[in-house]
Amino acid sequence: MTRHAILAVTLMLSAGAASAHHGWGSYDAANPVTISGPIQSSRYENPHATITVSSGGKVWTITLAPTSRMTSRGAAAPVIAVGKTVSAYGYVSTVQKDEMRAERITVDGKTYEMR
Amino acid sequence: MMEDAPALFIAIEQSNLGASIRQSSWAYPVANIGHIVSLVVFAGAVCVMDLRLAGAFAAMAPGPLIVRARTVAIIAFLGLLITGLTLFAAEASHIVLNPVFQIKLALIALGLVNVAVYEFALRARVAPMPAGMPMPATARATGILSLTIWIIVAALGRTIAYF
Repeated sequence: MTRHAILAVTLMLSAGAASAHHGWGSYDAANPVTISGPIQSSRYENPHATITVSSGGKVWTITLAPTSRMTSRGAAAPVIAVGKTVSAYGYVSTVQKDEMRAERITVDGKTYEMR
Repeated sequence: MMEDAPALFIAIEQSNLGASIRQSSWAYPVANIGHIVSLVVFAGAVCVMDLRLAGAFAAMAPGPLIVRARTVAIIAFLGLLITGLTLFAAEASHIVLNPVFQIKLALIALGLVNVAVYEFALRARVAPMPAGMPMPATARATGILSLTIWIIVAALGRTIAYF
């Protein structure tokens, strides 16, 4: 019984930690969004790759993952080239206007995990 | 957000150095790991010095122990400085406005003031002390304060990315 309770708490804590990566208070993890549109600019740089995407009359800044992780997940620089259409699922920043952190992105029918 | 930063820090971020750190596949991770490794060594040396000042390891005379640990601490601090400046240059305009980073810098300054307090006010008394002699209260306070400051600095460093 106690062991199950410990296991449950551990799982809950680790799930919470995973979803809150870099997200304590500065990303709205309770309300995930999907932003889709053409890529306006693309920076394949550390510590995180970033793209800007025009969607719904706004230009969103979308924070992706470190370049080494992007590459190992198959999302090399050409995947997020300017002009490509991307669909990004993630959390909106509560600090910076029109910025979101992507959990995963889909380009040309292929989905890449960012976390 | 970037527009809010002082021009100097925007210039650092936009410099060739800042751009090369971001665009390199290894520079940022190497600086990141180097910062942590330097921190580990620094923390070890600081613990030896501060715990001795706080009264621990009383079987050893404080003078020679602190002198040797200090050399290690200085080398590790230089490592922290170089790797820290590398990480900072990549994102200077954002980091400089980060409240956690600002508190961290203030506490580093306080930690260094504490070193100066030891050097100028306490060392003459503490360094010649033989093993086993009880530490003066001011030395104990300096050691505990120093340890507290550097632990908070380390914790704040890890917290910068979350604000």
